[in-house]
Amino acid sequence: MEKILRKKDFPEWLKKLNGYSLYAPVKDGDLWNYELVSNPENINLNHSNTILSPKKIIFPQREVFLEFSTNDKGRLQVKENLPEEKKTVILGVRPCDAKAVTLTDKVFDGDIIDSYYNKRRKSAFLVGLACNEPPSENCFCLSVGGSPYSKEGLDILMTDLGNKYYIESLTEKGNELLNSAPNLFLEATAKDKKDSEKIHLESEKKLKRHIKDTAKIPAILKNMFDSPFWDEESMSCIRCGICTYLCPTCHCFDINDEVISTSPLKGKRVRTWDTCQFPDFTMHSSGHNPRPDKASRLRQRVLHKFLYFVERYNDYMCVGCGRCVSKCPVGIDIVEILNKVRDYES
Amino acid sequence: MVKLEELKEAVKNILDQGKVKYVIAYKTNPNSLRTVPFFIKDSNDVDQITWNPLCVYNLARFLVDEKRRKAREKNPDTRPVGVVVKGCDSRAVNVLLQENYIKRQDVYIIGVSCEKTGVIDEKKLTKKLNGRRAQKVEFGPDSQFIVTTRNGQEKISAAEILADRCLECQANFPVVYDILLGEETKRKPEKPFQSVEKIESLSQKEKWAFWQKELGKCIRCYACRSACPMCYCDECVVDTINFAVTAETTAEEKAQKIKWVEKSPLLSENFIYHLVRALHLAGRCVDCGECERACPFDIPLRFLNKKLEKEAKELFGYKVGFDPDQPPLLSSFKDEDPEDFIW
Repeated sequence: MEKILRKKDFPEWLKKLNGYSLYAPVKDGDLWNYELVSNPENINLNHSNTILSPKKIIFPQREVFLEFSTNDKGRLQVKENLPEEKKTVILGVRPCDAKAVTLTDKVFDGDIIDSYYNKRRKSAFLVGLACNEPPSENCFCLSVGGSPYSKEGLDILMTDLGNKYYIESLTEKGNELLNSAPNLFLEATAKDKKDSEKIHLESEKKLKRHIKDTAKIPAILKNMFDSPFWDEESMSCIRCGICTYLCPTCHCFDINDEVISTSPLKGKRVRTWDTCQFPDFTMHSSGHNPRPDKASRLRQRVLHKFLYFVERYNDYMCVGCGRCVSKCPVGIDIVEILNKVRDYES
Repeated sequence: MVKLEELKEAVKNILDQGKVKYVIAYKTNPNSLRTVPFFIKDSNDVDQITWNPLCVYNLARFLVDEKRRKAREKNPDTRPVGVVVKGCDSRAVNVLLQENYIKRQDVYIIGVSCEKTGVIDEKKLTKKLNGRRAQKVEFGPDSQFIVTTRNGQEKISAAEILADRCLECQANFPVVYDILLGEETKRKPEKPFQSVEKIESLSQKEKWAFWQKELGKCIRCYACRSACPMCYCDECVVDTINFAVTAETTAEEKAQKIKWVEKSPLLSENFIYHLVRALHLAGRCVDCGECERACPFDIPLRFLNKKLEKEAKELFGYKVGFDPDQPPLLSSFKDEDPEDFIW
């Protein structure tokens, strides 16, 4: 379903969505981040890449799985803490970040169904915004099967046509959102469609970063496990978690019991993000660490994204948002690494 | 002014003479404006070395990695490692020496003077250029930077785009070195604690609100800890696992590992993390500002460390990283130390 929404009507539409929780990019200082928004008037979609993707909403950094306690008779009581199914609209989602959600879906809604993830995922409505301009100088979505106007994972794709948005509803969920304010959505003309297609094609040309022949990379990586390449590339890594925590596709986690009181027993079982970049991620209780150095940890990040995930799910676990490149404190650049891999002769 | 050719020559010489196993320097990143740390083994690669106002990294941080690497190797190359340091970075080397973490013979120090300027804050530059992209940033004459954009070169006064830490710098040329490049220009800030005084002037309630907001953003990626040359502990209170565990550690000892901080990025846990880190850096932080620069959420972490630097100076007359032989602040005692804050 293709429609037109005049920009002046945009806040009116959002007001009609008052039954939904509304997340939108909000600027604080120099940074954009997704926040719960109560006043739709304050939303404007001219954001660059948000510091965290909508991953922070669908797969939050902290999730309480259950609460436990002992009662007066000393019996253990356990209360499951599934997230409330509250319909949640996430606005201005960049196509790469939406594609990332389809990748975490493969993990949490595949062979194993993670009910915590899925409660949030199924209640989320992803309203995307095509990137007329690359939102980051390190965008490389075209190299990993995406595009600045990809529809994958989205319920609605909006394209900025100046004083109006070209609206493509892609799912039942998308239709539901448009039906909340049918009068505001005008019929799109053939010219509108043509204009949006023109903008989409032009936006592709504006990307500056590219991995050449990405398809060849998994096979090469397969023979590079023991390569000294990883030692060289990881020399400047400082073992922080930025690349993975900011990544829209990274999804590794840890589960801990947060004990508030031991007698009587009271506490929570909590899932938090974790990362292969922390040395304790693979530490065994014996003191042995199978990934003892920076080289093995950088290798894990690259191989998980461009070999293991490809083998298991037939897709790269990378959407080319460029966050890990832009935010790495020491300038480690996965595009550069993969281009070197492609040319690597062992 | 530091001549890049002289820096390259110095690195080439020590590599060719086999004095060092490798040199930690800076090079330009081909894909962006930024420089990146450069680990150079082969003197044929010296042409990639750069020295410009984007050399923000405190390369002394990598001496920690070198020590860890050496500990893992069966037959380590015991030659020193060369490292390019600015004034602040050289103070960090001094602290590592003072704490006996490294030995003087482990490191060959190539000092570069920041002279009248320092390194820039990329965010300030981006704002100043208002949409235009910088292609190159160079040291200019006097206290200026020369920035090249599509429209040509322009001069920007250092004060406008210098990193905050450089505005309060107390060592604009290295205090310890084997070779020094550039001049020992005097440039003492009039108010070395100006930034922290702004926070001090807030009421207790305002301070609480300020830190709740700032530390509430933290996602505990530990970039601040990771970028810090002083955060070299093998065992950190915030980690769930004790890295001091070996095959000989008994199950009982492991079970007794206390969990001081939860992994959850809750305000309470974030406060514990950042305050513990700040306290552990009292009398050790050299204000290289890398923690704040590394933070993906722009949390103004320097305020915490700067406050403790100020306390150390005012209460104990202690200045960090100028003398490798002075006893560390937190493990020394003098009869004349003030006691009036103890009640």
